Amino acid sequence: MRVSRRSHLRNISNFAMPLFSVALVLVSVVLTCSQPANALPAFARKYGLRCSACHESWPMLNYFGQKFKDNGYQLMNDRDAPIWQNPGYWPVTFRIIPLWHRVSTGKVLVDTYSSGNPSPTGSAVQRLTKSGFDLSGLDFHTGGTLEKNFSFYVLPSSDATASFHFETVMARLDNLFGSGWFNIKLGKFELDNLLSEKRILTLTGNGGIYQLYHFIPQGDGNIFGQMGDNQLGVELMGHSYSDRTRYSAALLSSNNGTVQLPYGNAYTGFFAASQAFDTGKAGVQRVGFYAMVGQAPTTFLTSGGPTGPIPGSGIGNKSFSREGFVGQFYFGQHVDLQVVTQHGQDSAWFGQGYGDFIDTGATTTCNGGQPCNNTTGTVLPAGSQGPTWNGILFEPHYVYSPQLIFIGRYETIRMSRQANGPDSASPSASNFGNISTYTIGYRYNPFMTSRAGFAWHNEYNWLHQDGTGPTLGLTSANVNTSELLLGFDFDF
Amino acid sequence: MQTTVRKWSLLLGAAAVLAVSQVAWAQLTKYDLESRMGTESHIGNITGHAKDAKADYRRYCVVCHGELGDGNGESFPWVDPKPRDFQLGVFKCRSTPTGTLPVDQDLFDTIARGLDRSNMPQWSTFTKQERADLVAWVKHFSPRWVSEKPGTPIQIPPEPEITAERIKAGRDVFAKVQCWKCHGVQGMANGPSAATLTDDLGRPIAPFNFTEGARPKCGSTDQDLFRIFMTGLDGTPMPSFADNIKPEEAWDLVFYLRTLEPQKSKEKAIAKQLALKPVDPNAPAGQQ
Amino acid sequence: MRNRYNLAAVLSAVILVCCGALILGQKVNAAGEGKITGTVKLDGTAPHMKGIDMSKDPYCSKAHASDPGHLETVLAGQNGGLENVVLYISEGLSGGALTEVPTEVPVFNQKNCMYMPHVLAMDVNQKFKVVTSDQTAHNIHPLPNPMINVGWNQSQPPGAPAVEKSWKAAEVIPVQCNIHPWMHGWFVVVKGPYATTDANGSYTINNVPPGNYTVTAWQETYGTQMQKVTVAAGKPGTADFTFKAK
Repeated sequence: MRVSRRSHLRNISNFAMPLFSVALVLVSVVLTCSQPANALPAFARKYGLRCSACHESWPMLNYFGQKFKDNGYQLMNDRDAPIWQNPGYWPVTFRIIPLWHRVSTGKVLVDTYSSGNPSPTGSAVQRLTKSGFDLSGLDFHTGGTLEKNFSFYVLPSSDATASFHFETVMARLDNLFGSGWFNIKLGKFELDNLLSEKRILTLTGNGGIYQLYHFIPQGDGNIFGQMGDNQLGVELMGHSYSDRTRYSAALLSSNNGTVQLPYGNAYTGFFAASQAFDTGKAGVQRVGFYAMVGQAPTTFLTSGGPTGPIPGSGIGNKSFSREGFVGQFYFGQHVDLQVVTQHGQDSAWFGQGYGDFIDTGATTTCNGGQPCNNTTGTVLPAGSQGPTWNGILFEPHYVYSPQLIFIGRYETIRMSRQANGPDSASPSASNFGNISTYTIGYRYNPFMTSRAGFAWHNEYNWLHQDGTGPTLGLTSANVNTSELLLGFDFDF
Repeated sequence: MQTTVRKWSLLLGAAAVLAVSQVAWAQLTKYDLESRMGTESHIGNITGHAKDAKADYRRYCVVCHGELGDGNGESFPWVDPKPRDFQLGVFKCRSTPTGTLPVDQDLFDTIARGLDRSNMPQWSTFTKQERADLVAWVKHFSPRWVSEKPGTPIQIPPEPEITAERIKAGRDVFAKVQCWKCHGVQGMANGPSAATLTDDLGRPIAPFNFTEGARPKCGSTDQDLFRIFMTGLDGTPMPSFADNIKPEEAWDLVFYLRTLEPQKSKEKAIAKQLALKPVDPNAPAGQQ
Repeated sequence: MRNRYNLAAVLSAVILVCCGALILGQKVNAAGEGKITGTVKLDGTAPHMKGIDMSKDPYCSKAHASDPGHLETVLAGQNGGLENVVLYISEGLSGGALTEVPTEVPVFNQKNCMYMPHVLAMDVNQKFKVVTSDQTAHNIHPLPNPMINVGWNQSQPPGAPAVEKSWKAAEVIPVQCNIHPWMHGWFVVVKGPYATTDANGSYTINNVPPGNYTVTAWQETYGTQMQKVTVAAGKPGTADFTFKAK
């Protein structure tokens, strides 16, 4: 079973599927969009603090909230252990979002009919727009301490149709050797992304994720490499007393958070470090970097034919990497800017669609109709090269007050090397699969207490992707998708 | 008791309040606070301005300390120890003698240090400027900062070397000034008076237990311990011992207190070597 | 606000002194002449003063072996005279009689784990001393309203030096020892001449210049009563008070 969320994350980039269904799935993104966020009134209740103490705007953390999280959901006041709580206290929080939205996708290939003939007589490209009332998925957050310096977090999360998966399950040993520099976490958890996608302030299908955290080139078969998804692994992290300096190093299974070892014995390393600086009246500025380097299988043993891969049998590991800089810049009490960059690289095998053979085994073909399995004798088509790309994300905020925040975002990802290079039979256009997206929105919390969170949310997103639309003549069309969303985002 | 609101104007005829035998402390209004919005703090070369802390106070502090700084925020009923009432201008953690206002640096340090075993977190993620602004904001709640000057910080002589003699002398001080009356002979917070202690508002309060490995509320360095018993923790039963312990004796006591803690320390090793016994509460004065 | 209050007090004092000097002339210097006397009695049976269990501190219980300690919230003599009632002039004072601070230094003693006296009256800014006669540690912890006076808390182990202090504003201030929770007393800080009743309930307020006054009697359990009194040259005013037992 794949995590339901992933289907929409991948759909933007699924080259091998018929373009028509790509577009349709793109439109349906919003239906399955559930962005689990770790905003926990359970913590607010436990400590008698308001959301705003830990969140710049719920669910995005501020520096104090980040420190609380880095301490293992502890204030470090020797009263963190549950033994100090009222026995009736149970750290659980529900979050769901009733909403209205309108999604419009340009250039969808549709069948055309002529009078008297029930079968399609041709096809045309047109805009597809839908609107209506809807729901997000539902998150059951529970987390905190089992005992002083023993933390946990469990998050069963459903999509909008109540199909559940475990978004987060982890236990953490905090402050080993009495030092904040050593904390070990085991389970499924979010990578140590300073700009956390689980705490994103936006909700639309394309704007409710960081494209940078999920980007894979068109047609790429890498089963891994999505920094935004929660991963299974072990993490060592540490920080200074005031959290100004922090680092983390994680060893992860290369299966993108999917349970039951569906692929093989491949691992990925993720490393992040950052340093914050006190710059007086401007605030605290933080700069850091991250690097993710790993391997994932491209070869699977098969049973009952070449399209029947045996789960867990992956070998033929190929490498990939993602690395970049992160900056959190504050300009006084109201304005801040979050910046993330990325340089990504996949092996040429992934670029040709090898990798995710367990899920796509029966439906996807590579290299002129072969199953996408890198078995003995398989060769890459001429002109194949490892795809590379560069991306950048700017997210400015205007925090009018702890109760009202305006959010903007611009993200762009540009391919710097296509999988089908200039020497291949059908070279890709240099901008094929490039993404640009803008998001603007605001969140207004009409009240603020230490018991529950409630935000009136209004957001608009526009996403442009080059060359992934229906083919018109010799060139593929670009696709523009826009979405307007209004909703009540609440947790309790 | 907090809820008994007495109008500030009554204070103008202060002679008229003599009949009040219950604690009925005055409460300020927004108007009073507005007039002191220009309050400043000075931490090294940083100047804090109360008005700049308004947003931070609302974001982080108001939930406990309240809009008017009276410690009556929405979490007041649920947290224990209770949030500080800034209007009274009485603070536990000071470098200044009992009955005086703390210096700005004391409040500045307290914000970052937090108060262990309370709901006051360590706000160490703030910039120094933010903390300085918050110090000014805390001060603007109490009229004491208008009418009084902060006390002069007590002198802390350089820390001497830890010796067996000093630890033994520290034990004698512990016996002489009878720390054990509340803190217990082993520092387990089980002295004969421990159970009946109340703070200035009549709420039960426990003495510090040295044997749990917890951090003292006003800091855990040797200098902090020195300060704690020499200045007292105003608003609590912990008195100042400045008149009764000489500065050099104070260091002896600090070293002895370390022997009560579970943490490994040089003091503890020496105490073990000396086979130091807890003080005898029944021994006549001066004959430990 | 505090500033404003102080300013107002100083200003009005200055104005009063000037006016007084203009109108009364030489009488400003006649503060020492008059006095107010009287007795304070209790009407009814005094409530039972509960005994105090001092067993937690062997020193204290030993000191009270033959004379068990008891509460002192209402101390009535055989003829009904009320002890520890503070009398002061709440209205009518002006000039030097109001602003002059007595030079004598009253003493508040911690003896046999009780306060001696139980109620200590004093003038604003008058120096007073807290001493200990006990061989057990006390802490002397007055609890003023922080908006009026500034509290403090000092230890007094055996042999501790005296603590010398004063209060800057009129207030009835409870005093306690946290180590011995039964130890509870009062500092009654007033402006101008005052007196405290003796075991028979009699009192004399000295240094009252001739004039018309309101005298207030304060008793810790029964609260206050007021009476108008006239003091003439050479003729003391009298004011007797009766508190009803409850």
